Amino acid sequence: MGTIRMDRRLFLKTAGATAGAVAATQVGCFKYFKKGRSTAADAKEIPTTCELCPNKCSAIAVVEGGFIRKLNPNPENPKSRDMLCARGNAAVMQVYDPDRIKQPMIRVGARGEGKWKPVSWDEAFDYTAKKLAEIKQKYGPEGTLWSSTEGFQEKFFVNLGQAFGSPNIVRHPTLCLASVNLAYGTTFGTVPSFDMLNSKYVIMSGANRFESIITPDTMDLIGSVMERKAKLVYLDPRFTVTAAKADEWYPIKPGSDLAFILAMLNVIIAEKRYHKDFVDTYTLGFDQLAEHVKQYTPEWAEKETEIPAKDIIRIAREFADAGTRALYYSGRRSSWYENDFQMRRAQAILNTIVGNWDQMGGMVPNASLPKGEFLFMPWDDPKASRVDEVKTNFPLAAASDGVYLKLRENVLSGKPYPIKGWMVYKQDPMNALPDQGKTLKMIEDMDFIGVIDLQMSDMAWYADVVFPESAYLERTDPVEVMPGIWPAVVYRQQVVKPIHDTKPNLEIVQGLAKRLGLSDYFDYTIDQWVEAEFKDLPIPMAAEHMKKHGVWAATGEAHYGKTLTPDHRFVTKSGKIEIFSERLQENGYDPLPVYNQIAQPPADRFRLILGRVGYFTHANQSNNVWLHEFMPENDLWINPAPAARLGIKNGEYVNVASSVGSVRIKARVTEEIRPDCVFMLHGFGKKSKMQSLVYNVGASDAVILETAWDKVSGNAAFHGTFVKVSNA
Amino acid sequence: MAMKKKRYALVIDSRKCLNCKACVVACKAENKVPVGHFRNRINEERKGEYPTLSINFEPEQCHHCDEPSCVRVCPTGASWQRKDGIVLVNYDECIGCRYCMIACPYDARYFNEEEGVVDKCTFCVQRVDKGEVPACVETCPSKVRVFGDLEDPKSRIRELLATRRYKVKEPQTGNGPQLYYLL
Repeated sequence: MGTIRMDRRLFLKTAGATAGAVAATQVGCFKYFKKGRSTAADAKEIPTTCELCPNKCSAIAVVEGGFIRKLNPNPENPKSRDMLCARGNAAVMQVYDPDRIKQPMIRVGARGEGKWKPVSWDEAFDYTAKKLAEIKQKYGPEGTLWSSTEGFQEKFFVNLGQAFGSPNIVRHPTLCLASVNLAYGTTFGTVPSFDMLNSKYVIMSGANRFESIITPDTMDLIGSVMERKAKLVYLDPRFTVTAAKADEWYPIKPGSDLAFILAMLNVIIAEKRYHKDFVDTYTLGFDQLAEHVKQYTPEWAEKETEIPAKDIIRIAREFADAGTRALYYSGRRSSWYENDFQMRRAQAILNTIVGNWDQMGGMVPNASLPKGEFLFMPWDDPKASRVDEVKTNFPLAAASDGVYLKLRENVLSGKPYPIKGWMVYKQDPMNALPDQGKTLKMIEDMDFIGVIDLQMSDMAWYADVVFPESAYLERTDPVEVMPGIWPAVVYRQQVVKPIHDTKPNLEIVQGLAKRLGLSDYFDYTIDQWVEAEFKDLPIPMAAEHMKKHGVWAATGEAHYGKTLTPDHRFVTKSGKIEIFSERLQENGYDPLPVYNQIAQPPADRFRLILGRVGYFTHANQSNNVWLHEFMPENDLWINPAPAARLGIKNGEYVNVASSVGSVRIKARVTEEIRPDCVFMLHGFGKKSKMQSLVYNVGASDAVILETAWDKVSGNAAFHGTFVKVSNA
Repeated sequence: MAMKKKRYALVIDSRKCLNCKACVVACKAENKVPVGHFRNRINEERKGEYPTLSINFEPEQCHHCDEPSCVRVCPTGASWQRKDGIVLVNYDECIGCRYCMIACPYDARYFNEEEGVVDKCTFCVQRVDKGEVPACVETCPSKVRVFGDLEDPKSRIRELLATRRYKVKEPQTGNGPQLYYLL
């Protein structure tokens, strides 16, 4: 009987819903739950692909009465391991967020003042095209900067920048994973995945995998560790969730991870515990390595890392004994220190000498799956060279991605040439880059700024024109192959029609292209694009399959050892795995990882370190009402010993000052951090009033972080800032 | 055909819990839980002094007890229990007196001010009755919770309880809680 009563209540709540529902979404995000609920009769389930972070998990949207009711995990994608995290679940609230940009807007007050005029799309396009044309005439197309972050529709934006003739496309990697990609790429000619599902011994440093969720690594590793299939050794100045779950945690001295790895190499080689057959067959430069690491004894490393030599020796032995199923995990976001590239290189080399390459439980080169390509009219290469001078400053870095911080320095100096227009897609340089003061200065120097985004980010807040993009649940995107040990092809299809006057990025790009005389390069629809991609999927009825399932993963089985034939040619200069890299040497870098001490903070300062929690990754997620309630405000972690010395009390506000800025933030006095470090979470202290939950609440790390980068990859080095902490 | 007897329960492997909150948000979406309230939560226990530290996370929600004290104290019969063990609130009969909230040993209930009724985890009865698992169970990245029928000898939860050590919380209350935490 009870269930019938339950249903009756559902029914009562539904009555009279239809009229209220449409209006309710305009007012606020919760109303529709009260009034807009429909009977289950018209419920639909539509598979799609999550966009809240770069993992691209497969999800199934439950739509009732035209509203997204819930997102469920889609078990068909082996990479996403039949789960949807807090962020993925909260994507519902991304759509129904009252803070969304609801129509195009042109700034009417001063930049950052927050005075906007809602305009038609035509007006926004015309205005932007006119401004871009003016800049082009005065400074050439290279006088414009096009910056974007990762996503399925990013390519359209990048293409517009290129078709416009600008060489200055800058993407997210040098704020994220450029150093790890370059280090592994230099060594193996490719960036492998890590088979956490089958590994027996995992060492992790410079990554917090149980809070920074990466699929399938996070899920595979927690299973392996807790089912006692794998041992996890974890190095981190902070007692993170990963530390709490690890078998061994070492609060390593920040920036000394390279010393730890070099000492492991020393032990494994000295004790001849490396995989001799593998090293002989597949690698280049082992003898030089053996000679090179003799200086890096465990006793020496103990002084650098504060990890006891006996533990380094034991861990090295255990690691080598686990052999092909031992992993020194690479991490993903690798923007920590100025030596980051060499630290990741050392990891790659350590993995190499135990022979875990292309083995079950080891590093596995990514498998891929075929899909079709949509062919469009190509444009001429830009005439000017890049403003960040990647080729001369970072000869090995990926020039097409740019080097963000060097780029900002050059733009601010006006050399080698001026940049006066800035187009931004879905990125918030105000919070993603260190030293917000410099970014603000760069904004001031611009004649024009246009931003495409879902929400009024701090960057959008300082723009001249804002184009509202449709949320991922409101649009269809290009098909994407997700390479990996368990590769999948994923498809994101429209789940509901846009609830505001927004457009998918492609249509925004096309609107601009039309007015810039570039329409010929963008004369297609998303449906034509997607259809071409479906065509080469080697499955019958590919389009129908993808629309019904949202994902195709072939057999979903892992394949190991395809590259383990002596005649396999690695995509490196020598065709071998390059322990010693001539290419590095030729470009003036250390061909083997050389240890240089990272500066440590003076007694009256702390090193500021960063990290993530499972429910926030990007700066915009703290304003999602379903995530925000877990952490309404960020705080500063500080160890009780220095806190007592400074008279800092838990929960009270402190000032945190670096050489470039200062912020006011609540102190969290906690044992869970080294006494020489402080930590804060990203995504708070917003300047945009349209991030209403976090506007002026807590502090933004970007305000106090200083500018520094890894020498080889140009990747931002976020852990080099020393701060003073005092009572506010 | 006679209906087979069922007894739903959860087995929870807290050690795998990463405190990522996926279960909390999934529940919020599935059950329209208002912002500021939760039907489930993750309890945290942080211990030790640097550098000897530990953190334990423990998911918590209604334990769907065999002898639920919330049902016993309810003056109107709004709190009631299905034959399969699921404890529910009949919102039409709830007068918002909140005795059940005091009686619950697990603080698993909340008062919905807007509706004037008490609310709590239902094991996602709307899903379970369709043969699906509760939203918190399905969405979890590390699959901390296992949902099943204790009357089914072939169920995964029976297997886990037969082969692993476990505890229930607050057994001394005599409530007979049906959330089993693996040790």
